[in-house]
Amino acid sequence: MTLLRVKDLHTHFISRNLDNEIRIATALNGVSFELSRGEVLGLVGETGAGKSLTAYSIMNLLKPPARVVGGTVEFDGRNLRDLQSDDMNSLRGSEIAMVVQNPRSSLDPLTRIGEQLVRVHTAHSDATAATARARAVEILGSVGIPAPEERMQAWPHELSGGMAQRVLIAMALMNEPKLIIADEPTTGLDVTVQAQILDLLRELVETRNVAVMIITHDLGIVAHYCQRMAVMFAGRIVETGNVNSVFDNPAHPYTRTLIDATPERLRDLKHKVHGGGAPPNLYNLPTGCHYVERCRFADDVCNDPVAMEEVGAAHFAMCSHISAVRDGWLS
Amino acid sequence: MTLRTMLLRRLVISVPLLIGILFFTFMLVRLGGQDPVGLLAGPTATAEEIDIVRAELGLDKPLFTQFWIYLGNIVQGDIGKSWISNRSVLLDILERIPITLELLFWGVALGSVIGVPVGLRAAFRHDKWFDQISRGISLLGFSIPTYFLGLVLLFVFFFLLGWSPPGMGRVSLLISPPPTITGSYLIDGLLAGDWSVARSALAQLILPVIAVAIISAAPIVKHTRAIALEVMSSDFVRFARASGLPPKKVSRIVLRNSSTPVATFIGTEITGLIGSVSLIEYVFAWGGAGQYGLNAIIRGDFSAVQGYVLFLAIFSLVVFILVDLLVLVLEPRAAAE
Ligand SMILES: Nc1ncnc2c1ncn2[C@@H]1O[C@H](COP(=O)(O)OP(=O)(O)OP(=O)(O)O)[C@@H](O)[C@H]1O
Ligand code: SF4
Ligand SMILES: [Mg+2]
Repeated sequence: MTLLRVKDLHTHFISRNLDNEIRIATALNGVSFELSRGEVLGLVGETGAGKSLTAYSIMNLLKPPARVVGGTVEFDGRNLRDLQSDDMNSLRGSEIAMVVQNPRSSLDPLTRIGEQLVRVHTAHSDATAATARARAVEILGSVGIPAPEERMQAWPHELSGGMAQRVLIAMALMNEPKLIIADEPTTGLDVTVQAQILDLLRELVETRNVAVMIITHDLGIVAHYCQRMAVMFAGRIVETGNVNSVFDNPAHPYTRTLIDATPERLRDLKHKVHGGGAPPNLYNLPTGCHYVERCRFADDVCNDPVAMEEVGAAHFAMCSHISAVRDGWLS
Repeated sequence: MTLRTMLLRRLVISVPLLIGILFFTFMLVRLGGQDPVGLLAGPTATAEEIDIVRAELGLDKPLFTQFWIYLGNIVQGDIGKSWISNRSVLLDILERIPITLELLFWGVALGSVIGVPVGLRAAFRHDKWFDQISRGISLLGFSIPTYFLGLVLLFVFFFLLGWSPPGMGRVSLLISPPPTITGSYLIDGLLAGDWSVARSALAQLILPVIAVAIISAAPIVKHTRAIALEVMSSDFVRFARASGLPPKKVSRIVLRNSSTPVATFIGTEITGLIGSVSLIEYVFAWGGAGQYGLNAIIRGDFSAVQGYVLFLAIFSLVVFILVDLLVLVLEPRAAAE
C-alpha cells in the first residue's frame, strides 16, 4: 500500500537582487515518487541536487526564501500541503520522523538526552512523564545504547557522533512513526558504526513495517540497504526503479556515469557520488534535459521537454535517447 | 573547566595586561604636554620654587624610575595623591565608585529590560514591520553623541517641560544627603526611612539613567536580535521543529539558547559603557568616578588619571569574571570543558 505519494513537486528560492529584480532559483522541478510501508527507498545524487530540499518540502519545514510552488504531497491519504500548521506539526515527529545529518548539532545543547526523548513523546501523546521516561529508556536500549538509564542523564556534548545518531533514531522511534526520512544518516561515521545504524534501520522496516527514505551520496548504501532507488539531478528525479534493475541496466547517462565511476568500490560503503562536471545553474536551467551540458549523447532534441519513460519493469528514466544510450555506452 | 582554573586563567592574563595599561597611561599622561608643576606652583613662582615642587612630586627623576616607584607603591596599596584635592586618589575613587555603579547599574538594567525583549521580538518577527522599526530606532540610538543626548534630555525635560529637576548632582541642593551606607542616595535614603531624600534622589536619577539606558539599549537590541536569529537557524531548532514540538516549546528552546550569549554580550558591553557614563556624569554633575576621571584628564592630574585607569581595568576584570561565572552556571558545556 502506498504510504507517501509525491507528485510533481516544485520548490523555488524566490529573492530579489540589489536592483530589486526578482530572481528565482528553481531548485525542485517536478519531483515525483512513491513509497510504501515496509519499503526502503534510496535517494541519491550529487551535492546540491535537491535531496534535502525534497525532504524539507515534504515536511513543510522550508525556511524563506524557499517555497513550495506546485505539486502535491499525499501521506496516508491526506494532502500535506492542505494541512493547517497545527495538524502538520502534530504529524511531524510522530507519523513522519526525521533523522538528520549532523546529529550532534541537532540536539538541544542545554537539555539532557532523556528530557529531549521525553518531550517528543509527550508533545504527541497524553503519556505522563514517567511513562515517557520508561519508554525512552527502553528505546535507547533497543537502538544499541549501552547503559540507557545513565545515558538519559547525558548532555548532547558528551555523546560521540555514532551515539548521537542513535539518539536521533531513538527520538524518531518514540512515537511509532509510519515513515522515517533519514537524511545522510551515516555521513561522518566510521564504517562499523555506519553498518550498525543502517542494520538498525533495516530491522525497523522488517519488524515494525515502517517506510524509510534514505538520502545519501553513497551508492554502496543504496545497493546494500534499499529495495528501490531514485537518482536526482538538478531538482528532478532522472531515473527510478528497483535497485537491481537500475544497477544492472541503467538507462540515464547520469546514472551510468555514477555507477561506472564506482563499480569495484560498491562493496566498501565508502564511496561518494561524484558525477563529474559543474552543477547546473538553478537560476537558468536548460529548457529541456538538465543534464544536457554534461552529456556526451546530447543533441538538439535534448533541448525539447523530456518525460519519464518506462525502460523496464517498474523502472523509469527521463531521457530522450534511451536506446542510443544503451547501445552506445561502451563504444 | 573548574572555577579555580578559570579564575587563575583570568588573573594570569590580566596582570601583564594591567601593567601594560598602567605603563601606557603613565607615559601618555606625562608626555601629554600638561605640566602640573607649573599649575600647582602658580603663575608667580620662580624657577627655583618650581624645581622644589618638582622634586617634591618626584617628577625630576627619569620616567622609568618614576614608573618603577609608582608600581612599587601600587603593590603597597598607595596609588598616589591627587594634586587637586590633595587627598589619596584611592579614597577619592573608592568613595565615588558606588555613585558611578548606581548610574551604570540602573541604566544598563533599564537598557536590558527594554533592549532584550525588543531584540527578541525583532528576531521572531524577522523582516516584519516591528523588526524594521526597531532596527531604525536602534540605529538612531547608535548615532546620537552621548554628550548631546544628555543635553537634549535636560533641555526637553527640565527646561521645556519642567518635569525633571535640574541636572545638578544626585539629590536636590536643598536636601542634606542621608548617612552613607551603600553610597547610593536612593537606597541610603530608603534605609534611613527618609522619604524626601529618596524621592529627590530618584528624581535626580531618572534622566541620567534614561540616557545610559538609551545608549546601552541600541547595541543590546542589535546583538540580541542577531543572536536569536542565529539560534533560530541552528540545526537543533530546525530539528525541534522537525520533531513536531509545539511552537511555544520551540520558542523556549530559542530563548534558553540565546540567554548565555546575550548575557555575555551585556557583560562586555558594560565595560565599554564606562566612557559614555563618564560623559553623562559630566552633563548631570553626577560626581562619580567617571566624572572624577574626566576632570583629572582635563586638568592633568596624573595620579588621579592613573587611578582612574586602574579602576577601569579592575572593573573590567571583575565584570569579566562575573560573566564567566554566569556562563558556568548557565551552560553545561562550559562546565564540562
Ligand atoms: N537561499 C538559497 N537561494 C538559492 N538557492 C539555494 C538557497 N539555498 C539552497 N539553495 C540551493 O538549493 C539546492 C538544493 O539543496 P539541497 O540541500 O537540497 O541539496 P542536497 O541534494 O541535499 O545536497 P547535499 O548532498 O550537499 O546535502 C542547492 O543547489 C542549493 O544551491
Ligand atoms: S536527454 Fe539528451 S542530454 Fe539528457 S540525458 Fe538524455 S541524451 Fe543526455
Ligand atoms: Mg542535503
